[in-house]
Amino acid sequence: MNVVVCVKQIPDPADPGELDPETKTLKRDSKLILDESDSYGVEMALQLVDAAGEGEVTLVSMAPNNEVGGLRTALAMGAASAVLVSDEALAGTDALGTAKVLAAAIGRTSPDLVLAATESSDGYTGTVPAQVAELLGLPSVTFAKEIAVDGGGVHVKRQTEDGYDSVECPMPCLVSVTAGVVEPRYPSFKGIMAAKSKPVDEVTVADLGIDAGSVGWAGGGQEIVGIEPAPARESGEVIEDEGDAHERIVAFLDELKVL
Amino acid sequence: MDFTFTEDQYLFRDTVRELLADKCTPTAVRAAWENRSGRVDGLWGQLADMGVVGLTAPDAAGGLGLNEVDLVLLLEEAGRAALPEPLAEHTAVAVPTVADAAPDHPLLGPAAAGEITISVGLEQSPYVSGAEEAGALVLQHGDALHLVERADYTVESTRSVDESRRLGRVRWTPSTESSLSTDPALVARAFDRGALAAAAQCLGIAQQLLDLTVAYVQDRQQFGKPVGVNQAVKHHLANVGLAIEFARPVTYRAAWCVANEHPELTLEVSTAKALASDAVDLACRHALQCHGAIGYTVEYDLQLWLKRGWALAASWGDATWHRQRVADAVLGPTG
Repeated sequence: MNVVVCVKQIPDPADPGELDPETKTLKRDSKLILDESDSYGVEMALQLVDAAGEGEVTLVSMAPNNEVGGLRTALAMGAASAVLVSDEALAGTDALGTAKVLAAAIGRTSPDLVLAATESSDGYTGTVPAQVAELLGLPSVTFAKEIAVDGGGVHVKRQTEDGYDSVECPMPCLVSVTAGVVEPRYPSFKGIMAAKSKPVDEVTVADLGIDAGSVGWAGGGQEIVGIEPAPARESGEVIEDEGDAHERIVAFLDELKVL
Repeated sequence: MDFTFTEDQYLFRDTVRELLADKCTPTAVRAAWENRSGRVDGLWGQLADMGVVGLTAPDAAGGLGLNEVDLVLLLEEAGRAALPEPLAEHTAVAVPTVADAAPDHPLLGPAAAGEITISVGLEQSPYVSGAEEAGALVLQHGDALHLVERADYTVESTRSVDESRRLGRVRWTPSTESSLSTDPALVARAFDRGALAAAAQCLGIAQQLLDLTVAYVQDRQQFGKPVGVNQAVKHHLANVGLAIEFARPVTYRAAWCVANEHPELTLEVSTAKALASDAVDLACRHALQCHGAIGYTVEYDLQLWLKRGWALAASWGDATWHRQRVADAVLGPTG
């Protein structure tokens, strides 16, 4: 069974993020690391391939400056290879543009299953997995907390507010997994050393047959016109109790319509 | 020649740091102080799976065949996390010593896989750490080293200031069967490996104490301002930072010298251990002072690093002992 995992390489959350005043976007010129939320998908994919007894895990990622730091971590965990899409034309790409690129890159392989995180840790749109599935014409299941492969389909326990739904879906399909679906393994030192020699196929927008005008700032159809610091939280009202404080509190709660 | 660490070596360090941040929390270390083994349940197995435990074992025994330069950053992380596992005794000293003396020894395979631990007792110290739990010990008898399996020694336990270090006097009888090496150079090298490992752990402890204390003095308010704004506090912590930064490159050089059997490795190891012991001692004293009274309490986590720091500063030769060895090496024996 061949599994593709969509992984995002993000600035290290331990370092304070910085916005570029010119592009008004997050600076991504420092070393990027594997988004922790994608480590669950990588682990899940490795476990499914192990259980199937054949096949391999391929990573698909889009990142600036041909950055492979995060991919190396996932390769060290046990993934066999990676496809990295890196192109200056991709600067400013929105969620739909990202989905177009990832779908085109995934389309170069023939996976039985595509896994993705529910959302990235730095973007939080949470829309890319479903968009990728739609673009590839695949059925998709979101919020998987447990996945089992049986015959030609997947059985998914899909996290809901009240518990979970049991969902069955034929393969090939795309499943987005929640954090905690499995405990990601720590790369072994042998894995770290082996990762250097695993193939990373670096491709451009043109290689994928995508019109550069349909991605990046041009394809986004949106413009960030300004960025402002979040306003400081206003201090609350202090009431000196002169015997009528309870009335003021009741009036306040009444105003909030909680009484 | 490029002496900087490789990308792989930094990745090894970062991976171990993540594992220890997750599994070797202060709560886990406290639990280790109180349990029978003095260790964190399951952690040794995870370190073995990662390749840390067998890092210095030969490839043929299932190890990684790496050396002190690859290990030194991991020993710093062990200190940073107050790791209550025998990484120094087993991976830094016993395994490479056995591998040097008897590369095909049957215990190397289980030792590389983390199935048994091998601790070490040299004549500079009357106590052996972790002897009760070990599967075997590398023990010195004069100029000779012996590998003594668990059935062939007894342990008389004693308490350490750091309660995760389970110390004991070992009773054993040297025999032909237990003999590992009669080469005095191997005894000296085993000691230098231990002193280097202690120095690297001291650096990690000192750095952790500094980081904890810098965070504390920025948070703790007195007279309406953080105590860290006071110059006397800044000076203390800057001096600790200075001591660490002086000791760190010397320790890395010592690691390279041990790995490459440099003729002056003894001088380099002693310089490193003297500076690292000084650094951790200074870090302990200033961390305690800058924390004020809360630093003395058992309930506060600072004590985990303080006690480990004090214990390791004096282990494998304290700063004074190593300074004397440097003086002897440079000036000739002064008696």
